[in-house]
Amino acid sequence: MKEQIIEILEDIQPEADYETCKTLIDDHILSSLDVLSLVAELEDEFDVTIPTVEVIPSNFNSVDAIAAMVERLQEEG
Amino acid sequence: MTSYVSILYLLIFLPAVLLVYNVLPKKYRPVILLLASYAFFWSISRKLLVFLLVSTVSIHHIGLWLTAVQNERNDVLAQTERSGKKAVKARYIRKQRWIVFFAACVHVGTLLVLKYSGFFGRNINALLTTAGVGLSVPILKLAMPIGISFYTMQAMSYVFDVYRETTKADKNLGRLALYMAFFPTIMEGPICRYSDDAEQLWEGRRSTLENLTFGAERILYGVFKKIIIADRLNIMIKILYSGYADYDGGMMAVAAIAYTCQLYMEFSGTMDVVIGSAELFGVVLPENFRHPFFSKSISEFWTRWHITLGTWFRDYVFYPLSMSKPLKKLTSKARKKIGNHFGPLIAGTMALFVVWLFNGLWHGAGWHYIFFGMYHLVLIVAANFVEPFTREFLEKIHIRREEGPYRIFRMIRTALLVCIGELFFRAEGLRAGLCMFKKMVTQFTLRSFTDGTIFSLGMDKLDFIVAALAVIFVFAVSVVSERGTDVRKVLSTKRRIIRWAVCYGLILCCIIFGAYGMNYTPVDPIYAGF
Repeated sequence: MKEQIIEILEDIQPEADYETCKTLIDDHILSSLDVLSLVAELEDEFDVTIPTVEVIPSNFNSVDAIAAMVERLQEEG
Repeated sequence: MTSYVSILYLLIFLPAVLLVYNVLPKKYRPVILLLASYAFFWSISRKLLVFLLVSTVSIHHIGLWLTAVQNERNDVLAQTERSGKKAVKARYIRKQRWIVFFAACVHVGTLLVLKYSGFFGRNINALLTTAGVGLSVPILKLAMPIGISFYTMQAMSYVFDVYRETTKADKNLGRLALYMAFFPTIMEGPICRYSDDAEQLWEGRRSTLENLTFGAERILYGVFKKIIIADRLNIMIKILYSGYADYDGGMMAVAAIAYTCQLYMEFSGTMDVVIGSAELFGVVLPENFRHPFFSKSISEFWTRWHITLGTWFRDYVFYPLSMSKPLKKLTSKARKKIGNHFGPLIAGTMALFVVWLFNGLWHGAGWHYIFFGMYHLVLIVAANFVEPFTREFLEKIHIRREEGPYRIFRMIRTALLVCIGELFFRAEGLRAGLCMFKKMVTQFTLRSFTDGTIFSLGMDKLDFIVAALAVIFVFAVSVVSERGTDVRKVLSTKRRIIRWAVCYGLILCCIIFGAYGMNYTPVDPIYAGF
């Protein structure tokens, strides 16, 4: 899953090191519009619905956090 | 005590609170901070303190109410089969949304009535007159408690965070009261989240030597920025903005640049005093500035200037709107038709429109503030729209956008665009702003620089030299910080004589070159007026 997420992220914003970065939102590496693209891509790719309450910096600051959120949403159905 | 850079605050109130705070046992320290905060508020807004008290009690109750609903939901979910869980969640989300809506009505409603009723009333009356209707709505002149724009945002962020379950509702009314009222932040922010400082404030940690040294240094640097640069420029700015009709386009450019400089030095200087004051008590507040004039785009500028306001709008307005069902559907459809870059831009622009409308209005009830917001919206959307073309073009002509002269060009371009925005922001109305801008573009000459006009605006040659040297000093400190060096930490490793020389040097500069005393009228803090 992480590799797929990195692929999506590199497509949206190529100028970042997604393997190590833990502050994608806090350091403004991903802009607000990038997050819109990301959410749309994640929903399509992993067949989940990401509700507004989940769109908080801590869920998008790193690839691990994004993967954890997607996994949780998949489990919750 | 109308300013954080006043003798009464810096030399009497703050040291007295700090002394009592550290002398008393740990359990009484938060109480002292709370009492000092209410005394500070009372000294400025008197009985309007009641608004702050009502807000505090209100969010305390609303937080607990939301938690009760969430607990009930969890109990019901535990007894519900998997297939029915979604419906239960949806039912309880609706319930919670009504509570959040109620909170918004109480808190944002109070702000709207106190801050904007005059503006809306005047505009409604103008419309009625234009339409030939012989009716008018009464214009109320209401007194506003100090800092209402700031503490209302703190209150709403607490309610939203409890609703999102990223913060637990606080049962302790005192802790919540201190979070809302902490005296260094009440007047001009930073707009803190509950998770930023509520726990730290209530801990009542004794001030360490490092807290005292670092806090005092930060305060000193803030005072330097404000009284040597911002307050010195104030006289010239007042003359240029009120009498713009008498000056040429060159002076309008001076007005734009000087006001941007004043606003930055005044607001970031006050933030240094505020963050330094909190540091004295061992409390770390979120930063509100990160060298904004190193930004390469307007979007980046707003992630470095008034950071806590920008993140508030991002988290509580932009995302909820752009992730709402209708806009999400729109994004999904648009992505399929016009691609991954332009697709989200449509919904994003709609959400950004609301954000910038609110951002403009938050600064004040006036059309020029709305124009200021729309100006930034257009710049940000335009930059996002042309982004793929710019990237492709620069790759073709082999220019690296993050390096060398092109990077500097982007910084200067951003700074100039910011100055134009601030011209409208400071102008005495939208019409005045448009006139000033028109003059700057169509009647630009350098005559006023050579015929002595520039020195007839309340600033003589020495004033310009002092302001310029001080700006160069602040710029040099910013360059060092931008490269990742913590100036105060480096200073703390130097020999004592060097540390004291730097501190005394700054103090002497403030005393000798500060814009205060007989020739200067005290300058009210700009952001406290918002």
